[in-house]
Amino acid sequence: MSTDTLTIPASPRQEFALGAIHCLPVMAGAVPFGFLLGSLAAKAGLSPLDMGLMSALVFAGSSQFVAVELLDKGTAGLAVVGAILLVNLRHLLLGATLEPRFRGVAPARAGLALFFMTDEQWALALRRGEGLTLAYWYGVGVTLYLAWLASTVAGTLAGALIADPAAWGLDFTFIAVFLCLLAGFWRGVGSLPPWLASAAAALGAHALSPGGPWHILAGALAGGAVAAWRGRGQGKGQGKGSAGDA
Amino acid sequence: MLEALHLDWSIFAIVLGGALVTWLTRVGGPWLIARVRLGPSASAALEATPGAVLVALVAPAALSRPSDALAAAFVCLIARRVPMVVAVAAGVVAVVLLRSLL
Repeated sequence: MSTDTLTIPASPRQEFALGAIHCLPVMAGAVPFGFLLGSLAAKAGLSPLDMGLMSALVFAGSSQFVAVELLDKGTAGLAVVGAILLVNLRHLLLGATLEPRFRGVAPARAGLALFFMTDEQWALALRRGEGLTLAYWYGVGVTLYLAWLASTVAGTLAGALIADPAAWGLDFTFIAVFLCLLAGFWRGVGSLPPWLASAAAALGAHALSPGGPWHILAGALAGGAVAAWRGRGQGKGQGKGSAGDA
Repeated sequence: MLEALHLDWSIFAIVLGGALVTWLTRVGGPWLIARVRLGPSASAALEATPGAVLVALVAPAALSRPSDALAAAFVCLIARRVPMVVAVAAGVVAVVLLRSLL
């Protein structure tokens, strides 16, 4: 009996719960981030309802920071929408890597599920590999969504209570979470050349255009170019691409 | 509490526009890649993209000052050895200490 229950695949409910649990460390980074965004939005003149609608409908943290900053400066509406698009262009790259996981999903279901795709969601989903289920996806996505919605609205209500988040090191949670996610993609020293190229390109682009989203695109393109060049070299020799070390 | 429910229609229009373009970037990736056949170098590029995006996301902020760079290196060292929530908490403690020292 007990061995039978061990071999039964996880139910959607268990998968959803597992996703929610895996989401908890990510929430530790997202909630202070959301609270900070909310307090900045209050300073920019957004009401909690404005903020709540933005978090509920856009649900993309970095682009919301850029949008709030531009709204604070009185930037024209179309330029704000354009900036949101630029910051989120990287979603094209993230989504492309998830395509094998969504191949069998009906377009309408995929369109709804992909609404929840954030950097954190994508990294956790990719870590599940072939075992990724829609229930796990929603376990991560819905948990993160509700936490983001609640923390940004709470931040707007609290207004300028957090005068200097950097003093508490809370701004560093964002960096730490992404470094932990990055460690999960380490495949030995072969991972280093694309990463170094990405870091160099991102730093260069960031120096030229600080605050803009260009460093993310520049880093992704530089890292991808180095990997493509190395992949082609290995392909000539053995027919086995650099994917072999994955 | 009434101010909390105030809705600025010009901001709402921006939110709707931002929501539409953001959703298009989210569904656009799988849609595009399903219509293109990938060679070995393109596959290698796509495989390297996740790490490259994460590096690009953190590099400018992580290397903005010595204290943060040291704390970031510390997080990288422990990231694969302890649960993520522990690594993040240790990183935040480290950055607060280092910022007060450096």
